[in-house]
Formats: sequence, C-alpha cells, structure tokens
Amino acid sequence: MMVERGGWRVKSVRLWLPLGAYMIFTLFPFYWMAVTSLKPNSELYNRKIMPLIVYHPTFKHYVDLLTETNFLVWTWNTFLVATISTAISLVFGVMLAYPLARMRFAGSALIAFGVAATYLVPQPLLFIPLADIISSLGLNDTLTSVILTYPTLLIPFCAWLLMGYFRSVPHELEDAARIDGATRLQTMFKVFLPLCTPGFISAGIFAFTLAQNEFLYALIFLTQTDVRTVPVGAIAELVKGDVFYWGQLMAAALLGSVPVAIIYSFFVEHYVAGLTAGAVKQ
Amino acid sequence: MSTTALPAAVYVPVPRRASGFRRWTEREDVFSWLMIIPPVVFLLLLVGYPLAYGVWLSLENRPVARAGTFVGLANFIADAHDPVFWQVVQNTFVYTFFATVLKMVGGLGLALVMNQDFKFKNTVRALMLLPFIVPTVLSTIAWMWILDPAFAPVNWFLRYLNIANPGPSWLGNAHLAMMSLIIVNVWRGLPFYGITLLAGLQTISPELYEAATIDGASTWDRFVYVTLPLLKPVIYIVTMFSVIFTFADFQLVYVLTRGGPANATHLFATYAFDLAMGAGQLGLGASVALAMLPPLALIIVAMSIYMKPNKS
Amino acid sequence: MANIIRAASRRDVLTISALSAVGGLLGAARVGAAPKSMTLMHESSFIPPYDAYIKTTMAQAYEKATGIKINYDVVSVGSLQTRVTTAAETGTGPDMSCVYFNWPYLFDEKLVDVGDIAEEIGKKGGGWHDNVKEAVVVNGKWKAIPFGNVGQLMNYRTDWFDEVGVKEFPDTWDGLLEAGIKLKKAGHPFGYELGHGFGDNHGWLYPLLWSYGGREVDTDGKTVAIDSAETARAVDFCREFYQKTMFEDVLGWTDVSNNKAFLAEQISCTNNAESILYIAKKDFPDIGKVTSQAQNPKGPTGQRFHILAPWSHAIFTHAQDVKAAKEFLVWLMDPKNVAGWYDIAVSYYAPFLHMFDNAPMWTAEPRNLPYRDSLETSHLPGWPAPISRQQGESVAKYVVVDMFAKACGGKSTKEVIADAAAQLKQIFKPA
Repeated sequence: MMVERGGWRVKSVRLWLPLGAYMIFTLFPFYWMAVTSLKPNSELYNRKIMPLIVYHPTFKHYVDLLTETNFLVWTWNTFLVATISTAISLVFGVMLAYPLARMRFAGSALIAFGVAATYLVPQPLLFIPLADIISSLGLNDTLTSVILTYPTLLIPFCAWLLMGYFRSVPHELEDAARIDGATRLQTMFKVFLPLCTPGFISAGIFAFTLAQNEFLYALIFLTQTDVRTVPVGAIAELVKGDVFYWGQLMAAALLGSVPVAIIYSFFVEHYVAGLTAGAVKQ
Repeated sequence: MSTTALPAAVYVPVPRRASGFRRWTEREDVFSWLMIIPPVVFLLLLVGYPLAYGVWLSLENRPVARAGTFVGLANFIADAHDPVFWQVVQNTFVYTFFATVLKMVGGLGLALVMNQDFKFKNTVRALMLLPFIVPTVLSTIAWMWILDPAFAPVNWFLRYLNIANPGPSWLGNAHLAMMSLIIVNVWRGLPFYGITLLAGLQTISPELYEAATIDGASTWDRFVYVTLPLLKPVIYIVTMFSVIFTFADFQLVYVLTRGGPANATHLFATYAFDLAMGAGQLGLGASVALAMLPPLALIIVAMSIYMKPNKS
Repeated sequence: MANIIRAASRRDVLTISALSAVGGLLGAARVGAAPKSMTLMHESSFIPPYDAYIKTTMAQAYEKATGIKINYDVVSVGSLQTRVTTAAETGTGPDMSCVYFNWPYLFDEKLVDVGDIAEEIGKKGGGWHDNVKEAVVVNGKWKAIPFGNVGQLMNYRTDWFDEVGVKEFPDTWDGLLEAGIKLKKAGHPFGYELGHGFGDNHGWLYPLLWSYGGREVDTDGKTVAIDSAETARAVDFCREFYQKTMFEDVLGWTDVSNNKAFLAEQISCTNNAESILYIAKKDFPDIGKVTSQAQNPKGPTGQRFHILAPWSHAIFTHAQDVKAAKEFLVWLMDPKNVAGWYDIAVSYYAPFLHMFDNAPMWTAEPRNLPYRDSLETSHLPGWPAPISRQQGESVAKYVVVDMFAKACGGKSTKEVIADAAAQLKQIFKPA
C-alpha cells in the first residue's frame, strides 16, 4: 500500500478529485440508461427539457421488456453459455499455460506463438466456416453452438493471463513437492493451481465478460428467440426496422449488467486481495 | 530438475516401482505435450480449419452462395487500389493508437489512485467494472443517444447558455466521429486496465517502497524505478490485449456509425464485414480481414519474445 | 490379437455404414410426407401486431388447414443479410426467408425457382407490378415472391410548412430547397441521412441522381457513367440543399437517426419509410396529426424517382420440402389470407399485386397513398443498369452515398465525382 500522508487537502487532490472525475465519466452512461429507461416516450423525445431529469418516471419499459420479450430466458441463456464456455476455456487455458509458463520443452515457442496468433484471427473471417462446422454437427439454434465456439475466442486470453500469473509463482513449493515424490500432475493440482486462484478469477472474469458480450456468433447461430442471448435478443427484437425501442433497450442494458456487477463485486475482492495473500509472495 | 526420488512424506505415495510409461510421462517435455495436445487440437479444429478456409477464400473470387474461382492475389491487388481500404488502414491505426494510449495512461492513473486506502473502496471497484460488463451493443446504443447533439448534455448546456446551437456534431463531423469512437472505446476498456494494473500494483511488496524511501527516493522516483519496472509485465499483457481488441473492433462501429460519415470511421472488421456480407463478396471481404494480420503480427512477435519462459 | 480387433472394428464400421444407409433411405422415404413444421425468417417489424398476426392468427390457420406448423423467426433488419448469407452458405437454417433489394440475385443459386407459383399468385392477384421483376426475376427465373415495397418518401410537418407559406409539398427539388431555406430560418431544418445506414441514404440519393439525369453505370451494366454534367449538377444541388436546409449531424446519421429527430421535433422534413407516421400516430398523436408524406420531387429532367425496396419471400434450395414451402407461399399470398396481414401493417408494405391498388388498406390512411403511387417510378439502386454483383458492391461501399456526403462535407464536385468514378471503375472492371 502506498504510504498515506497529508491531510484531507492532499487526499482530495490525490484521491477524491481524480476518482470523482473518473467515476462521473464511467457512470454517466449508466445514469443515462437509467433515466432513459424510466422516461415515457413523450418525454424521451422531448429535446426542449433538461435531458438528465425524469419528470414522469414510468416502469412501462421494464414491464414491456419482461412481459413482451423473452428477456428472462435470454438472461438465463447468457448466464449458462458464459459460465460453461468460461469453464471450458479455463481448463484448456491451464493445459496450455502451465507447460508454457513452467516447463521447458521443444516447440514451446511455436505453441506460444500459435496461441497468441489465435487471438489475432479476425472473427469476420471465421464465421462462415464456423457456421459450416456448426451446421454439419447439427447444432444450429442450440446453445451448444456458442458454447463450443466462444472458447475459441476465450482460450488464448485465458492462456495468456494464466501464463502471466503462473510465472509469478515461485518455484520452491513445487520443487519441494517434486522432491517429496509427487508426480507432475499431483504437483500441479495439489500444490501449484491452488496458489493461482487470483489468476483464475481474473481470467474467469475476463472470459465470462467476453462470452456474455459476444454478438456475431450468437447472431449467426441463434435464430430462435428462446435460445438467444441478451445482446442478440435485444438487438434482434428491440430494434425493429429503423425504430429503436430505446426505453426497453436501456432497461435491458441495465438489467443485463447490474446483477453481473454485483456478482463480480464479490469476486473482485478475491481477485485483488488474493494476489496479495501470502502464498504468492516469497 | 530430474526426479530424484526421495521417500514420499507429505504427498500421495509414489509407487516405488515406477513403470517405464510412468517415467516417460514424468519427463518434462512429454508431460508438457500431453497437456498441450487437447487444447491445441480443439483450437486447430475450430480456429485453424476456419482460418485456412478463410485464407483460401481470400484467394478466390467467391460470390456468396456460388462456387468460387481461384484468382491468386487479385483480391489483395484490388484492395491496394481501393482508396477506401487505405482510409480504413489509417482509421484503424489512429483508433488503435489513441484508444490504447489513453487506456494505458488512464488505467495506470486509475490504478494508482485506487491503490490508496479509502472508504467505499469495494463499492467503487464494483461500479468501476460496469462499463466492461454491460453488453457492448447495448451500451453503445446508449452512447448513440448521448452523442446526439439534440440530446447530448454538452450540447444541451451550450444551447441553454446560448453559446452554440446545435453545438458540436459528435458523429457527423469526420474528426469528432473518430474522437467519439475513441472515447467510447476508452470508456469501455478502462476498467479492465484499471483493475488489472491495480492487481499488479498490489503484488508489489511495500518493503520495496520503504527501502526506496529510506534511500531518499521521491514519489516520482519510486514510481519510475520501483512501480513501473515491476508492473511492466502486467502493463505489457494488458496493452497487447487492448491493441488486439481495438484493432479488430467491430461492435462499436457497427452500432454507432456503420463506418460513416463518408468512411471516416470504417475499420478493418467493419469494412470486411460490409464487403463480405453486404456485397456478398466473400473473397474480397476475407482479403480485407486477412490484411489486418501483418500489422498485428508485429505486435505478436514482440509478445512472444516476452512470453518465452524464463524471462520474467 | 491386434488383427482381430482391427477386423472387428472394421466390421463395426461396415455395420454402422449399412445402418446409416438404411437410415438415409428411411429419411428419403420420409420426404414424401409433409413436414411437421417449416420456418420462415423475417425482419423484425416495427409494428408489433404485424409479427404477432402471422405468428398466431395466420400460422394457426395454416396449421389447422394442413397440419404444418409455421415457425416465424424474426431478425433485426440490419442483421438479416448476415443470417441469410449463413443459411445460404451452409445449407441449413430456415426453409424460407424474406429477402430484400438485390438479394434474389446475390443468393440466386441457393434459392428455388418459384416461377410457377409466381404466375399462379399473380393471376389470382390481378397481375404483378412490372418493375418489381427488376428485383426478383434473375436470368429469367423468379427467385422470390414479391411481398411488399417499403417505399422511401418525403415525410414532412404540415404545420411548419404552412407557417412559412408552403401549402403544398413542393413538386421539384428546387422548390423543396426554397421551402427548406425558409424552414431552417424558422428553426425547423431538414434532416436527410447522408451517413452509412442501410436504406434512408440510398432512399433519396439515388432518386436525386436519377431525377437530374445522372446514373452510375450505363444500361450495358459495364460502362461507368457517373462522371457526367448531370451528376455534377445533382452533387451541386445536394451540397446546397445540405448547407442551406440541414445541419452537420446528418452526415453521420444511420437509419434510426431521422426517425428520432423527426419525433423529437428537430426536423421538419426527411426521407423515410412509413415508420415515422406510424409511430407518431401511436406514441406522439400531436405530431401524428401534422405529419404527412409525399412523393419525391421532380428533378430538372421533369421526372421523379423512388427507390425500389421490395421485400419478397424466397425458398432456400435446402428447404426440407420445397413443394410444401411453395404451397405455403401460395396460401400466404392468397388475397384473402394476405390482405389481413397487409392491413395490419397499415400499408407499410405496398403490395405488388394490382388487385390491391384500390384495396381498403389505402383508404384507412390516405396519407400513405403516395407509397402506392410511387411504385411505378421506383427502381433498384444502380438502375438503369441491370441488377448485378458489382452493383451490390457499389452499394455496400456506399459509393454514391459517399460521393454526395463528401461534397456536403466540403470537397469539390469534381473531386468527389472523380473519386466515385475511380471506385466504380475498380468495381466494374472486367474480370
């Protein structure tokens, strides 16, 4: 921790001022979403009144969102898809990162390069062939289609992030375990990986976020409303022709992100604190 | 690092009669490859094959829903003669450069600020992540409205105070449109930078700072000689992620401007998408998408050097 | 031992392939019977009852009559082409889809020839409007059954036009410019999309070009003809029109922007489909009362033009049962079935069957009549050149739109036309 010195003056310059400015920048669009989602249409389109205030709040957009669309189904789908594809990606990520970060073997540079290159492959180039694979597997309009394809986006990330953390872990504990006769697999599972929880949490958060955000594959593979995820469902069914259902879209944005933020707030604690928690250091 | 088998004390007993197979799997390189093969096969199937297919597409004149004919590098030559393509290249570089620099500086600043003790720290940290969590397409729709001069708060105040009417056109003016995109990108990307760098900061042992302070280092010195070097690996990896992300960005432009006004905000991904999907020229679209690889490959070279084991 | 295992496994493989062959036969046999369900993909309509009507009323009626369930999947209009592309490329997905603009041409080989039912439907419906064939007849074959034209017309505020003394919507572009100058002074500028949307930009810029006598490519579909005095005059007009009646933001607009601006009472006139009036009447009755629609003005050639934006229904070659799909489309387009669907969309989809020329749907909202009247002067982007891939590329690259937009952004007429000509020559160069 940085050494705390000085009174409230110093503190306000060093902490509250920059933090406040940043929070305004960060949260303003959310305030906007909230305001938009609560405004009746007549007020929404009224550019003469102050745009940041709701004069006649209404929950109509929320009610419409929840009753007229499959929003809750989409939310569940998103959660399911993001969780499973994150899990797959973490497992594969560990399988790549552990050897790459901790071992010496012929071809490691090639693999590292290949994994990194994977992420560079532009999505717009991949989706036609991927759609081919998905349809030949008969997976169109199933959540499996995206559960299977999202890891292609997530694995390289997970692998890189994990590699970073894995490398920061000192070798002594592993060496001791090896000397004690543990196999490599045992060492990895029982000694090494438990030290890397923060790495998993950060890679997991990242992967989960990417997964629940993904748009292109979900758009292509999921046509039926009951298998859609939130981004695609909202865009497909709340953007109608050249008419946007602004209120409902913004309600969807808020309902889709705030619960996740709350869940994250628990993990974030681990994510940061975990890194400083004894084991990793010395 | 050879397995000098001492009697097992703490861990699962090792069978004394370690078989040949067992000894084989315990070899560093064998173990590594056994671990690596499953994910690599997975990636080869779902990335390698589509990529090869994509590369093949880029060498074909391949109208949608029709058989293609091999044309060699003709698509790339067509790109080289396409003024929009070069504008796209320029746009992508400008967009990536400014967005990344702003995120890096802002993220570092944010992490340093957050690395102090204060009340509500956890709440702030959770709130901070919001832009990163909210589905991009939806948050971009909110920005669409925030950047509309008829409703934008900035314009509203300018009008209210009778300074300008309607005020700046955030998405209509070519330069402002690019700037607006960069701002939205930064808004979305900063939390990831901030949180990750913060995590990195917290791994730095306070003793190092204390030692530096005792040696008479100023705050700035401590930042430059202690914080930055130790943070370098984290900064590096976050920056790479961000560069890749920003370079290949799609959703933001797709929702906000579709590349307008007059191509001022078209990026590789959106232009490739328009060509492949809009015009039904899969080959041409693939060539534009592929053209984004060489510049990114340079970055990757830098990265793989960094990622070589034994270098942290 | 190893040999035995190998032999056994080979036998298994044989058994499996034999089984699958039988399965294949069974599958083939099954094709004879009518499928249980078929899927029709559609744009997500801004008129919710319209989607609901086919999903429930029509689909139920059809299921009752034939036992075939109709799934109706909606996709937002901006994402629809991606979905159609994927379906056509992979040969999976919906059996039928609605298709737009030049798609029957783009997806030609993956769409079933529906000439037989087109004739049947045409006969029943009093004959097809001729110009729709521009969009759906590819190499002499009908590739889709035209459903309705989503016309792009002038949407304007009658009260504000009245205020500046313009009682009738101007008949010429020059007249409109004059009105616009007055309206902008009165604080009610015009707002026409000049950005990269999917329709509202082409919707007025191609007609503008045509009514000045300009064209992208000659009727031979090869010779680039954009560099002409006519184009230059159209560009000059557009720049003046933009500078004197609009504001900078229109350069970055997408299709949603003008709807928002009109309903926010920011603009007094734009070019859009019927969605503005529909939403205004529903959510903003005060605006709805003073909104009207008119055909595009005439240019110096004395002619007026409109964009042909036909939605049609096509059957993919991968449909499980093409015959059943055709039967469904015949049923769907039967005047007594489809009339209800048209009605509920309040003439948003202007039918291409002459039988509906004087249908009650037009009297329900007389302000929509220009959509019917504009059909005869409507053409696809790129007209008078025939529909082609190159044309599609030009649209996807926004060549014409950006030519006008750059001029409005301050570049010289000569420069923007030269840019467009160079781009078009690249696109239309002989392969």
